[in-house]
Amino acid sequence: MSEQLDFLIGNLPNLLFGFPGQRPGGLLLSLLLAVVAIAIGFLPAMVIAAGRESRYRPLRWLARGYVELFRGIPLILLLLLVYQIIGGSHFGLNLSPRMSAVVTLALYSSAYQTEILRAGLKAVPSQLVDSARLMGSSPWQLYRLIRLRYAFRVMLPAFTGQAISLFKDTSVVIIIGVAELMTVARAVLGSDIRNTPYWVSLYILVGGLYFTLAFSLSLIARRWERGRQSGDLVHSLANY
Amino acid sequence: MNWLTPEVIGLLGQGIVLTLVLTAVTSAAALAVGVATGIARLSGRGGRGVWRRAAVVHIELHRNIPALVLIIFWAFALPNLFPAGVRRTIFFDNFFINGLSDLTGLPVPYYALAAALALTLNTSAYLAELFRAGVGTIAREHLDAARSLGASPLGVLQNILIPEGIRASFPAMSTRLIHNMKNTALAAFVAVPEFFLGIQTAVTRSFRAVEFLLLAAVVYLLLSYGYSLLLTAVEQRMAARRVSAVFEAEKGWQPHRV
Repeated sequence: MSEQLDFLIGNLPNLLFGFPGQRPGGLLLSLLLAVVAIAIGFLPAMVIAAGRESRYRPLRWLARGYVELFRGIPLILLLLLVYQIIGGSHFGLNLSPRMSAVVTLALYSSAYQTEILRAGLKAVPSQLVDSARLMGSSPWQLYRLIRLRYAFRVMLPAFTGQAISLFKDTSVVIIIGVAELMTVARAVLGSDIRNTPYWVSLYILVGGLYFTLAFSLSLIARRWERGRQSGDLVHSLANY
Repeated sequence: MNWLTPEVIGLLGQGIVLTLVLTAVTSAAALAVGVATGIARLSGRGGRGVWRRAAVVHIELHRNIPALVLIIFWAFALPNLFPAGVRRTIFFDNFFINGLSDLTGLPVPYYALAAALALTLNTSAYLAELFRAGVGTIAREHLDAARSLGASPLGVLQNILIPEGIRASFPAMSTRLIHNMKNTALAAFVAVPEFFLGIQTAVTRSFRAVEFLLLAAVVYLLLSYGYSLLLTAVEQRMAARRVSAVFEAEKGWQPHRV
């Protein structure tokens, strides 16, 4: 029993922050990947959500195709597509695994964020839009300052849910060997047959680490939403 | 198209079949476990609320741990808990597993079972929460009416809570079930020869990464699209049955004469 504990405690720093002397990895990298991917993914989501309700049919189709493409195929396949084809030598990009992981997760997340934003945009009251027009705002100002902000506030729970979901999905980047938590766990166990007794306890620890972070993030998010959602959205926007 | 040899087509065809089977089995099981968990989650605090607590633990545990961790845990880690001889008998070489292997042609059926269990646990946790939200949309009056007509708790559960709860949450459940279909690709990590592992095998044999990965993307898009059509059809059918049930009920209704 104490051997098990020694093994786990000895490897805990590696699981949390990656191996010493290398770039940060482990749980820290999982979290960083998710945060960066969500932030980058929000930019295309804003544009494509607008495209989904464009006046022009080809634009609508293009936006729809983007969403269906990135939501219709498994994330591991998308990772391989980006890493081996787009990031491969064909296009002379030669993306590193780390870079490919960020790009893929951002694309994947942006498709989901687009759909969330679209649902939020539908919920914007027409009076709000009309009065903004009357005040003389340009279409771009209307979208950026009024509709987008309203949609974001209304859909906040959906956005935090998606963010936490993406954090768990980062486990899949093990397939291209980015040194995040899953990859570190695999490296810690290695191919050493003497490590087989530690498999169960190590994966329980890994699951526990994901659980602790994801669950506490969801609790924080719930509390944060409760604080922000109180009061009338229209008035809180007016006082922005 | 010389990269698509008959041998590779056979490999990928078997992979697609296994992906479909894995999807069907885990979807059905996750729906059953999810609804049962949802009901347990809603159950009262009687008996210190053991069922409710168990449901909360199941939901939170399997929603907050990535599916990949669950799959690797059940398939690769769990057998390592047992000494080598015992491990062989329990997981890889017994009457049941060998029979399953002969029946399905899978090299190691235990890994497929473990992956199916992990996916079921993961998806059912999400479905339970969606079902609970669906039950929340049922009008109070609907339940009160049933109770005042003398419906037993079991009758209310069978005739109102379960069908109405599923109906209300079905669009959201469909999204999750399609996600579950995509998650079956994770079973490739534990050597289950489903479609994604077939693609990886084909790539390592032929070094034609571009062709096979694009083929895989097309196949998965078609599978997602087909599955969403199927789920929409189910949803519409449930709605139609509900309308006809209301219609039937109204046909038999007679106004009271005072």
